[in-house]
This record gives sequence, structure tokens and C-alpha cells, in this order.
Amino acid sequence: MNEFTSVLPELIKNITTGMPHFLPEIVLIITFIVVILTDLFYPGKKSVHTYILVLTGIVISAFFTILQYQSSVNGISVFNDTLKIDRIGIIFKLLFSAVVILYALFIKGNTRMQNHTKGIGDLYMLLPGALLGLNLMAMASSLLMVYLSIEMVSLVSYLMVGYVSDGEKQSEAAMKYALFGGVCSAIMLYGMSLLYAFTGTLSLSDPQFMIRLAEMPQSVAAIAIILVLVGIGFKLAFVPLHFWSPDVYEGAPIPVTAFLSTGPKMAGFAVLIRFMEPFHTASNTSQGTPVFDFVAILSVIAISSMIVGNFAAIWQNNMKRMLAYSSIGHTGLILMAIIVNSNDGIKAMLFYLMMYSIANMAAFMIAGKIEERTGIINISSYKGLGKVYPLEMVCFVIILMSLTGLPPLAGFMGKVLIFSAAIESYSASNSLWMLSLLIVAALTTVVSLFYYFKIPLNAFLRQSDEVFIVKVKRDALSYISLILTLLLILWGIMPGLLI
Amino acid sequence: MSLLSILIFLPLFAGLIIVVLPSSVREGYKYVALAAVIIQVLISAYIYLHFNGNVFTGIADQNKYQLVERLPWISLNLGAMGKLQIDYFLGLDGLSMPFMLLTSVVMLVALLASWEIKINLKGYFALFLLLDTAILGVFSALDFFLFYIFYELMLMPLYFLIGIWGGVRREYAAIKFFLYTLFGSVFMLLVIIGLYFSVTDPATGYHTFNMLSMMDPKNYVEGSIFSALAHNELFGVSARLLGFIVLFIAFAIKVPIVPLHTWLPDAHVEAPTPVSIILAGILLKVGGYGILRVCVSIFPDAAIQSAWWLGLIGIVSIIYGALNALAQTDLKRLVAYSSISHMGFVLLGIASITPEGISGAMMQMISHGFLSSMLFFLVGIIYSRVHDREIPHFRGLALIMPKFSAFIMIAFFASLGLPGFSAFIAEAFSLIGAFNSESINGLLPRWMAVCGTLGILLSACYFLWTLQRMFFGETRLFGGEKWKIQLTDVNAREVTALCILTAFALVLGIMPSLAFDKMNASVLELIRLVNLK
Repeated sequence: MNEFTSVLPELIKNITTGMPHFLPEIVLIITFIVVILTDLFYPGKKSVHTYILVLTGIVISAFFTILQYQSSVNGISVFNDTLKIDRIGIIFKLLFSAVVILYALFIKGNTRMQNHTKGIGDLYMLLPGALLGLNLMAMASSLLMVYLSIEMVSLVSYLMVGYVSDGEKQSEAAMKYALFGGVCSAIMLYGMSLLYAFTGTLSLSDPQFMIRLAEMPQSVAAIAIILVLVGIGFKLAFVPLHFWSPDVYEGAPIPVTAFLSTGPKMAGFAVLIRFMEPFHTASNTSQGTPVFDFVAILSVIAISSMIVGNFAAIWQNNMKRMLAYSSIGHTGLILMAIIVNSNDGIKAMLFYLMMYSIANMAAFMIAGKIEERTGIINISSYKGLGKVYPLEMVCFVIILMSLTGLPPLAGFMGKVLIFSAAIESYSASNSLWMLSLLIVAALTTVVSLFYYFKIPLNAFLRQSDEVFIVKVKRDALSYISLILTLLLILWGIMPGLLI
Repeated sequence: MSLLSILIFLPLFAGLIIVVLPSSVREGYKYVALAAVIIQVLISAYIYLHFNGNVFTGIADQNKYQLVERLPWISLNLGAMGKLQIDYFLGLDGLSMPFMLLTSVVMLVALLASWEIKINLKGYFALFLLLDTAILGVFSALDFFLFYIFYELMLMPLYFLIGIWGGVRREYAAIKFFLYTLFGSVFMLLVIIGLYFSVTDPATGYHTFNMLSMMDPKNYVEGSIFSALAHNELFGVSARLLGFIVLFIAFAIKVPIVPLHTWLPDAHVEAPTPVSIILAGILLKVGGYGILRVCVSIFPDAAIQSAWWLGLIGIVSIIYGALNALAQTDLKRLVAYSSISHMGFVLLGIASITPEGISGAMMQMISHGFLSSMLFFLVGIIYSRVHDREIPHFRGLALIMPKFSAFIMIAFFASLGLPGFSAFIAEAFSLIGAFNSESINGLLPRWMAVCGTLGILLSACYFLWTLQRMFFGETRLFGGEKWKIQLTDVNAREVTALCILTAFALVLGIMPSLAFDKMNASVLELIRLVNLK
């Protein structure tokens, strides 16, 4: 114990100086505790007090995050290099806050979850925890922090997926998710321990990390890195670690699916960028062979994700499964922006992620509303719904067009930005990977049109055999999805408002 | 707001009005649309009358465009990539101005044909007007990005217009049309971005989507993908040639050329009459216009390199389309295949890169715009009355529908190239161009012109044979007496639409200078640009 006394004051100092930069997360922790207590003693009808507290806490935390934006041009490392606060991380954090707020609104609007016997308070309680985990993922700059934050998000997600386990399918989904996630994080932890053994440091920003890793035989280092990528890949659900996602998306309650397809996925990208950062700095400065060829492996992953995701989606009839496969395809496309590895690539990726999360949230909201009102979960049963829910279905079509990448919608701008970054990188490097990525991305765009447009095909082009006797009432969710749709149009025509 | 912007966004505005109108005034929707389209016709007539074809030669010089409107639109700072600068850049020259007028008139006719639409009126007219905006935008955009946005914007309304109000196999036809065009245009997007990184604006030094800058070899960045001097290669093919081919395929799907034409018979046949009119009358021209404005102007070297193939594709389309038309028993399918055949002349004329040939191609597009609209309108008249259009099911229609038969005779004879109608001038000029090409620039061999002539002969065969089968002889109908009662002659609304189209076909046939004077200088400028390369 005595050997630590000399470094103790410095450690404490590091912690105390780091605290002010940790304010948004502290707010979340406080919210989390307050919410538990409130929900225990004073939940209100259907936990409405909990709900309001959660929203307030997240908004306050987001507010502090915005304040951080100005002061973090160059990025600040806190808590002994375990967290790094920079602009990309902050944008990610804001995106997470927006997604979690939409998620809360979604839960609030979903009557099936509201009326569940278990009560909804516990689910609200998980939200600040989820956001805290996501924020940490966006900031993590040491391997330990990466692992902890990923586990934190995973634990919360397991609970959410299994929250309303009415039937076998839900239980199966929750079980599958937990098992798959557990194995993946164990593998990742193994990879991390190897990296630690090779380099003697956990910090990704430590120069020793790269120097020592470069001294290792290439194949050994590659194995360790691939093992870490497995853990990140589980969150991203890229091929070949995508098997859980269609089943879990299908089995989970629809608001949870909406969250899973946006929040943790975006955080996965944030972690991936952080993890790749030292490798890029090393390859930019030193002349020697790169320690690990990220371009090749990520290109293979991206190409197979685009192909598998988009082609498998064609054969899906269940709405959630279709969206699950399509989001695998989107993962591939977004990976393209990461492979480019430039500021433009990151910018393109952030724009695309934002568009993607808005569109996905809105799509699930509408699908959820229709499932709730009519019990329809299959695309083939959407026949004639265009007449029953005109506003919702028109929004749905616009959202799907944005996901396909048709102008003048935000999805199109996102695609243009990613393509621009890739073409620019191609003309600089003449890398065959880039060219094949571009061609596959273009081809799968056409494929994606085919399955996305099955929904308008059924909703508008076909007549229903049965007459719907459902009361058509527009509720908050309809209007939220309308606003999100309008945002997609606005950002498609005026992308300058954002970047 | 210039006149051009008003022209483009007027239909969109009218469409929004229709969307917010309550459904209690359902019957009023078409009048809102009609008002918008009539104003549109008046504005484009005004533009036509005030267009000075000799001054506004356009093509590669912004100062030579009329009604230019250039506003910065999207400006994204992308760090190392510089600034993503996209302009809202519109203008008219001799190549685009005739199409503005054509679009307005054909839209008016299509709207008059829309009186037959009975279901879901709000959606129909809103989509119709959105489509109108997109088409006008394509013909006047000079920024490639803006062009692409309008170009893609046409797809979605068409998908629903065919898919919701179409015939029996409408779902198949709608998605087939969408997938075909999207396939072409996604790759076009990649070339557009590639061009963007290859070209800089001489004024600002930033990369630009400005089409006019792309036409000037001086603006290309040294060593960039599409720079003519760099001789870059992709997959062993010159990058410029590959770019040309990709853009050409995107537009050729629209034209359409054989073998990328298979969407057209399906889409035309399954679409409701007004949409068939728009498809044949305007959308096919977007393809031809795109080839002239984009492919030939931006990649002149590649255009000359591949002129022989373009000519061959033109010939194959002419002959294949005509032979297919001969074999059809569905009247609408026959007209659809005749469109493929007639659009082949456009490609042949463009491939010749002679003033006669390109003027002929332009004229053929305009003429075909009016005539194919007329043909589809006429087919629509029969179909709306008896819901059948099998040629063998009708005989001796001339006896019970004399006025209708008169119009159909005009349309048939005009389409097969009878002197005095616009199609004659158009086809003659295209063929003269193709014939002279060997002695002027040596691009096309003479036998291509000869084969083209064969196409005219074949079109006479299928049109006259159809006339004989359906309209002459004793009246015998598949549906018996019931059909005889249902097959009433054309009414006042239909006569109006048909008279407008006949008048245009006739006037352009007798006084082709009305069109040639406006576009001749632009055509010469285009040829000068191509020969500069």
C-alpha cells in the first residue's frame, strides 16, 4: 500500500480537475438515483413523475454537453487519460441525448408498454443509465473504459429487450441477446488483455501503446485487434456478427428495437473511431508498414454487410426484421465513411448517422403505432393502409425514401457526403477497395429501393381484402413522426443548417 | 424570383394548395391544376416569343443563357475537401427552351386527359403537379447537382401515378420503371461526384457542380480522375470514356434504347392515359436532352469516340422497335413500341454530330412529344369508353366515330412521316445528318442512314395496317351492340386537346423555322464545342 502513497495526491488531483468536464454525466448519475427513489415512493399515475424527471435530467445533461462544445476545440483528456472530451465525442453525446429523448417519448406513446402489468417506471429508470453508458462510449479513450462502457450499455439493453417478455419469442430474443452479447464481450476482453500484455498500457492515447504494438509480430497483434473488433462489431451488428439482430429486433418491444437500432449502434461507431485513432496517427507519422490493415478488413466487412443486409431484407415479410436487415446494410455504408478516415469522412458519417437515427426512430414509431392499432406486423398485411392512415403512411413513405437515399431528402445528402469522401479518397489513393465499396454501395442502393418500396406498394397500390374498422386517431406519436419527417425534408434541402 | 423560378415552382405551389384543400371540394382540384398549367403555358409562350435564338446560344457560356438565375444554395465547409458549393443555377438556351414549351403544352393535354381519373383525386393532382415541377426543373437546371435532384424527383410521383391509377399489372410496371431508372442514376451520381472533384470554378477556385465549368477543359484539375490530359484509367478503360458510358446509360434508359427498353412497354401500357402522355411526350425527351446537355457537352472526346456505337444503337432501336410494333395486338403497346422506334432517330441524329443531324434530333424530340401524346390520348379515348384496346376487337370504327377517326388518321400519317407534318422534317434532317456524317466528319457510315430509312418504311406498315384493321370496313365489334353505344365520338374537351396537338404538329411541319430559328445557333455552338475537344 505504501508504494502508492507517492502517486496518490496526483491521482486525486487528476480526478478533481477532471470533475468539471464530467458534469453532463454527473447530472445523469444524479438523475438515475433520483429517478429510482421517485419511482419507489412517488411514481404518479403510470409513473408520470418518473417520466418527467427522466426527461428533465437528460435535457439538463444535454445542455451541459452543449456548453462543453465551445471549450473543447482540441480535446481534453481527463481522469488519467481514460476519457477524452472532444468535438466529435460531444456531437455523439448530443445525438445520444436526442435519441434517448425520442425513445422516452416513444415509450410514453406506446400504450402496450404503458399498460403492462409490470409498470413502466423501471424502464424509465434505465434511460439515464443507458445514456450514461452511451456517453462514456463516445468519450472512452482507454481500453478499460471501452469495455466498461460497452458492458454498461449492453446490460441496460438486455434488461430492456426482456422487459415485456409476454411470449416465447420475446424471451428467446432476450436470451439470445444476452448470450451473444456475453460471449462477444468476453472475446473482446480477451483481446484487450492481450493488447495490455503486449503494450503494458491501457490508454489508447499513450504513445507507448503503438510503439510496443509495432514491435510485436504482425499476426499476433492482428489477432488481438480482431478480438477487440468482435466486441465492437456486436454493437454495430456488422456481418458476420449480425445474427442476433433480426431475432432481437423482432422479439423486443418496438420502442426498444427503435432504440437498439440507433443508440448503441451509433455508440459502436464512436468507439470504433476512438479505437482506430492511434493506429491512424501512427501510420500518418511513421513510414514503416502499418501495424494492422484496417482498410482491408473493414472493407470486407462493409461490403459483406451491405450485400447481406440489403439482399436478406428483400425476403423479409416482418416489418421489424426487414428494418433490422436494412440497418445492417446501413452499417456497411457508414463503415465506408470510417474507412475513408478523414475529417470529411467523419463529418459525412455524423450527418448520415443523424439522418439514419431520425429516420429509423420515425419508421419504428409509425410501425409501432400501426402494430398497436391494427395488430399488423407483416408488410404484406399493410394492404390498403394508405387510406386508413394517410398522414402516417405518407410520412412513412418519405422516411423510407430518405433511407433509400432519394433526393431531396436528408438521406440523399448523407449518401452524397459519404460518396464524396470515398471518391476523394479513391482519387488520392487509387485503392481498389474504395472503388469496390463505391460500386457495391451504388448497387445496393438500387436493391434497397426494392424492399423499402414494398411498404408503399402494399399501403397505396394494393387494396385491402378486409375493411378496417379501427378508429383512426392521430396521437402524439403521429405528430412526432410528422415533425421528424419534416426535419428529413428540411435537412435534405438545406443541409447547411447542420454542418 | 425570376420568371423561370416562377414557372418551375408554380405547379408545386398549386399542388400544395390541393393538398390542404378539404376533400369536400374534391371536384375543384382539377380546376386548380388546370389554372396552374394554363398559367404555365402562357409563361412559357411568353418565354418562347421573347427568346432570341441568335444571341442566346448557351451551351458553355453563362452569359449566353437567357433568364439566368444563380444563387448560392448549399454551402458546406468540408475541411480538406474544400467547400461543397452547390448553386441554384437555372438558365435557358436553344436546347432547353423548346422543351419548356413542349412540357407546358403536353402537361396541359395530359391534364385534359386526367378528367377520366375518378379515384383519389387529391393524391393524383398533387403528384401530377409535383412531377410537373420536377420536369421543368430538369430542363432548366444548369448545376449538375440541382439537375440530379430534379431528375430523381421525377421518379417518385411517377411510381405512384403508375402504381395507383394504372392498369392490371401496374405494380410490376411501376417498380420495374423505378428500378431501371434508379439503376442508371445511382451510377450517374458517382460520375457527378467524380466530375465535381475534377473541376474547379475559375472564379472562386473551389470545386463546382456547375455544368458549364465542366464543359471547359481548362477548368479540370491537373491529374484528376476526369481530366482529359491525365488519361486516367478505370478497369483498363479510359476514365473519361467510362464516365461518358455511365452517363449515357443513365439517360439511354430514359430514351430508351434497345436493349434497355423493356420497362417502357410495361410502363406505358399500364399507366393511365395522362401518365402515358407525360411518359411518351416528355420523359423520353429528358433522356435525349440529357445526352445532348451532359454526355456530349461534357465528354465531347468520348462522344466522338463512341459515335459509331451510338449510331448503331439508334439504328437497332429504330428497326427493332418498328418490328415489334408490327407484331403487337394491343394498340397501346403498338404506340409504345413505335415510340422506341422514333426515339432511335434522335440517337442517330445526335451520333452524326452534324448541324442537320442534331437539329433533326431536337426536332424529332419535339415532334414526337406532340405526336406520341396525341396517339396515347387517342388510345385513351377508346380505352376509357370500352376498357379494351385489342386491335382485333375493333373493325370499321370510322363509321361510328368519324371525328375520332379523322384525328387518328392525322396522328398516324403525321407519325409515319408524311410531308407537311413535323415528323417528316425531323426524320429527314436526322437522316440527312447521318448521311452527310461520312463526308463531314467520318463518324457514321452511310449504311446507317439507309437502315434508318427502312424504319420509316416499317412505321408506314404498322400504322397503315392498324388503320386498315381497326377503322376501315364494316363495323364489327367484340363487344357487340353494347360497345356501339359506348363508343361515342370525341367530345369538346377531347377535341380541344387533340386540336392543340394537331396544330403544333402541322405548324412545325409547314414552318419548321419556328423551332429551328430558336435552336440553330445553340446547335452550332454545341458542334463547335465538340469539335474543339
